[in-house]
Amino acid sequence: MKIYSLTIFSTENDAVVNLAGEHDLSGFGFFQRNSVQEFLTFFSKTVAERTKPGQRQSVEENNYVFYAYSRTEGLAGIMICDNEYPQRVAFSLLNKILDEFLIKFPRDKWIPQSIVFPELKNYLIKYQDPKQADQIVKVQTQLDETKLVMNKTIETLLQRGEKLEDLIDRSQEISFQSKAFYKQAKKTNSCCSIS
Amino acid sequence: MSLKDRTSEFHSAVESIRSRSISQTGGFKARNNLEHRRPLLDNHSNSNGKIINGTNGMNKSEFARMAGAIGNDINIMATKLQKLTKLAKRKTLFDDRPVEISELTYIIKQDIAKLNKQIALLQQYVRDHKKNNTQANEHSSNVVVMLQSKLANTSMNFKDVLEIRTQNMKASKDRREQFMFSNNQQANITEANSPLYNTQKRNEQNNKDFLALDMSTGQAQQLQLMERQDNYIESRATAIESIESTIAELGNIFQQLAQMVSEQRETVQRIDANTDDIQMHVEGAQKELLKYYASISSNRWLLIKIFAVIIFFFLVFVLVT
Repeated sequence: MKIYSLTIFSTENDAVVNLAGEHDLSGFGFFQRNSVQEFLTFFSKTVAERTKPGQRQSVEENNYVFYAYSRTEGLAGIMICDNEYPQRVAFSLLNKILDEFLIKFPRDKWIPQSIVFPELKNYLIKYQDPKQADQIVKVQTQLDETKLVMNKTIETLLQRGEKLEDLIDRSQEISFQSKAFYKQAKKTNSCCSIS
Repeated sequence: MSLKDRTSEFHSAVESIRSRSISQTGGFKARNNLEHRRPLLDNHSNSNGKIINGTNGMNKSEFARMAGAIGNDINIMATKLQKLTKLAKRKTLFDDRPVEISELTYIIKQDIAKLNKQIALLQQYVRDHKKNNTQANEHSSNVVVMLQSKLANTSMNFKDVLEIRTQNMKASKDRREQFMFSNNQQANITEANSPLYNTQKRNEQNNKDFLALDMSTGQAQQLQLMERQDNYIESRATAIESIESTIAELGNIFQQLAQMVSEQRETVQRIDANTDDIQMHVEGAQKELLKYYASISSNRWLLIKIFAVIIFFFLVFVLVT
């Protein structure tokens, strides 16, 4: 599962303006990259135009999925990934990005060319593997691993139980034999004198 | 014709029949019959000055009444459970009625809890009113046990039905996803007008519509009947719920682990005791052997000395003669 691009648009005044965007085009051949990037930006803009504020959408087309989240403050975030990417993680990522963007750049700074938002790139790279990045999924995977480990532990414990029972039997046998040994020694000691 | 007062004969006949019916039917029915007969008898007995188990009788009928009510409730709940089973077994994709099923589940759960309380009350009642008649006590405890086992059976069935329901839900979800996915792979399938869809399904939580745009040109749009409107927040909620259940399971596993370890502690203690015994015995045996060894060696010395003395005397005698 891969993320291909992340873009942020401003949607006020009925004109969608691209504010910041990052792409990961390593899957495409070198000569196609330019055109692919143009396509991606064009499609992102189209989807952003069609997304009403305060709404989340997802569009699927030929193995690519566009996740759109439009906020009422006039920002829209579009994410393009393949169809395996889990939806919940996608939307939580969009949420996070838009929140950070809002904190960092208040409204008056929304001029397309002057925005430098390096975190976008970091997020793009980090969230390529949703299992690691998303909190909920990470916790779930860790819990599953722990459950597996616990099951193995219980199995080991059962084996330990068996061995302990074996030990009990053996120690009991030794106890009996040592007692016999003691009695025998006592017998040879107390009996008639040696001639 | 003189009027003969045969009430005493009537009473004795009733007594004999009563004892006979108790031994015959063995419980419920007899008590119910008794219930019917008792008011008459009481009136008669009171009017005659004879009191036949006055207070005890009231207790018995009270118990029978409570037990009968509980049995009735259990039967009603069993019918509800049957209905739920029928609903849960349906495997259609669309006609699923989740609201009804969840309502019914809720009602049945509440009923089970109420019946549990009632049976506990009944048990308490039985314990408080223990009489001298041991057979009656045994009977009441048997009745309580039977009601409890009936309730337990019903709750087991309920649990099975819930499991079946979750499996069916999962299967239908998979089938639905298959359907949707195969639909989306066809490029011609487009969705209804997005504005129309939005106005239909909008609520305060941000809706997520599932639309497939045809990228070449806008073509004719058809409604996708088999879409599932997944809510982002709902999916988060389910994910977190699953995490919570996993954590609960883990807690359970830990508890089991602790229990098994504590069980094994007793075993370890036995081994410990055995080894202590072994050590004690072996030490004692070693002491004995040392003593023995000491005695043997000292015996030898004694023997040698004795022999030396004898030989000495022998030599003396030989030399003298």
